[in-house]
Amino acid sequence: MALASRAALLLTILIVGGLLAAALVRLAPGFGMDERLLDARLNSSSRKAIEQQLTEGSDIVTYYGRYLQRLWRGDLGNSISLGRPVRELLSERCGVSLRSGLAGMGLAWAAALLAVTMLELVPAKTCEALASLAAGGLLCVPTAVVALGCLYLGGTPSLAVAAILFSRIFRYVRNIVRTACQAPHVLAAHALGIRRFRLLTFHVMAPVLPEMLALAGVSVSMAVGALIPIEALCDSPGVGQLVWQAALARDLPLLVNVTLVVTGLTAAANLMTDTLRVTREACV
Amino acid sequence: MTMRRVAIVLLLLLFIVLLAAEHVAPYSYATQFRDAPNARPSRSFPLGTDALGRDRLSRLIYGGRGSMLLAPAAALLSVALALGISLLAGCLGRWWERGAMALADLSLSMPWLFALLAVRAMLPLNAPPVATMLVTFALLGLLGWAAPSRVMLAAVKRHLQSDFVLLARASGCRRGRLALVHLAPNLLPLALAQFLVATPIFLLAEATLGLLGLGVPEPLPSWGGLLQELENLPSITASPWILAPLLVLIVVVSLFHLLVSADPYSV
Repeated sequence: MALASRAALLLTILIVGGLLAAALVRLAPGFGMDERLLDARLNSSSRKAIEQQLTEGSDIVTYYGRYLQRLWRGDLGNSISLGRPVRELLSERCGVSLRSGLAGMGLAWAAALLAVTMLELVPAKTCEALASLAAGGLLCVPTAVVALGCLYLGGTPSLAVAAILFSRIFRYVRNIVRTACQAPHVLAAHALGIRRFRLLTFHVMAPVLPEMLALAGVSVSMAVGALIPIEALCDSPGVGQLVWQAALARDLPLLVNVTLVVTGLTAAANLMTDTLRVTREACV
Repeated sequence: MTMRRVAIVLLLLLFIVLLAAEHVAPYSYATQFRDAPNARPSRSFPLGTDALGRDRLSRLIYGGRGSMLLAPAAALLSVALALGISLLAGCLGRWWERGAMALADLSLSMPWLFALLAVRAMLPLNAPPVATMLVTFALLGLLGWAAPSRVMLAAVKRHLQSDFVLLARASGCRRGRLALVHLAPNLLPLALAQFLVATPIFLLAEATLGLLGLGVPEPLPSWGGLLQELENLPSITASPWILAPLLVLIVVVSLFHLLVSADPYSV
């Protein structure tokens, strides 16, 4: 039941998002203009036919209806600047972004969990201060500068994603683990002489898993947002670079369709992690 | 508490310097010294000049004024929106609350940079630089309401169960008065904490947009725009003073983070 209502919410979000996207395209400066109208070789009836074709989409509801119909058939429209179907562009570039994003997220999570585990197993004030300084320092630097830094140091886009996500994930995980360590059952287990590693994995990490899953959902959104500056600056041919090029070229149909697709994917990822979190919470 | 005071004093000093940019900066941000492009730091130009012969220090100060005034303004807008929406959703009933949260989910699911680029691309090409700058920060403010609204709605729901609200309701207090007189003042500390969280986020967002060439257009300076010089690695090694805007930005964001970490209401 909860899953169904969440799926319904996701669908509603996508439909409203689609309406917003269609409204953006419809209201953008230059909508309804066609450079074919400037072609002196066309006669008046041809021009009228083109004008009529353009005015058909002037009503926003009709326009959105047609937009949804096309979307249902899997037609995301054409890019103005690149002159190619958006679907084709997306299928070409999705793999690159998916690889960078997933590898970066995996690296960031692994590094954050490793750092938190090490800090719990070997508590040292200097290490704690250094880790906090590194994570806090990275939080104060713009995403694009982190991407440039990675590029200059010879790193890959996935490393840049990892560097950006690490600071956020580490701080959050460190906080929840530190709080969980003060829980009565953990103190009792510690008093019983249970080893630190076992204490950390079974008594600390297991209860905070729902919160970690919620953070995993949020980190998908963060990774997707970070991909634009990273791919643009690292010259990686992914969806982020496509969006950046579309923004520079003011290719609104491409931009809003990609935004819609990415929103759908992010919302689906959040739905999945939310469902897992709820299931896990029910178990705990 | 001491760190918080230090952060407040430093930020206030910075605000004063930036507000008095006309008197503090050696030159105007647009003044070009054509005989001294890419000059090294000297007495006349403490941070050197850029490729067009403009004084870097003056542009850093004027750019800071734009970023440091408009980022808090955008944060204020998003927190005000969040406060209004959470009060409405909390006081008007379950359906309004569900609607507001669905809207917040939509906003949070949409990677904000994608949405920002899409809306930013709608601006006409001949829009004046000041208008573009204002619109960019206004968009940041409009898109940033979702995260604070979730926190505030939770606080509104908590307050709705409290004794003073029950007493006010029993006394026949109307919803509008309840929201404005009884709930809103109690949410102000939380709103301040959210404001402190949002301001550095918007500063960093503007910097990222500026580095991508989608921020504040020339000739207006902004900290993000000044970072565009970092795209050239040889120039960083040859003239490391071009890192000054990045260092200032890092210091300012750190000061805001210090304020947030010292705030008892920060979430």
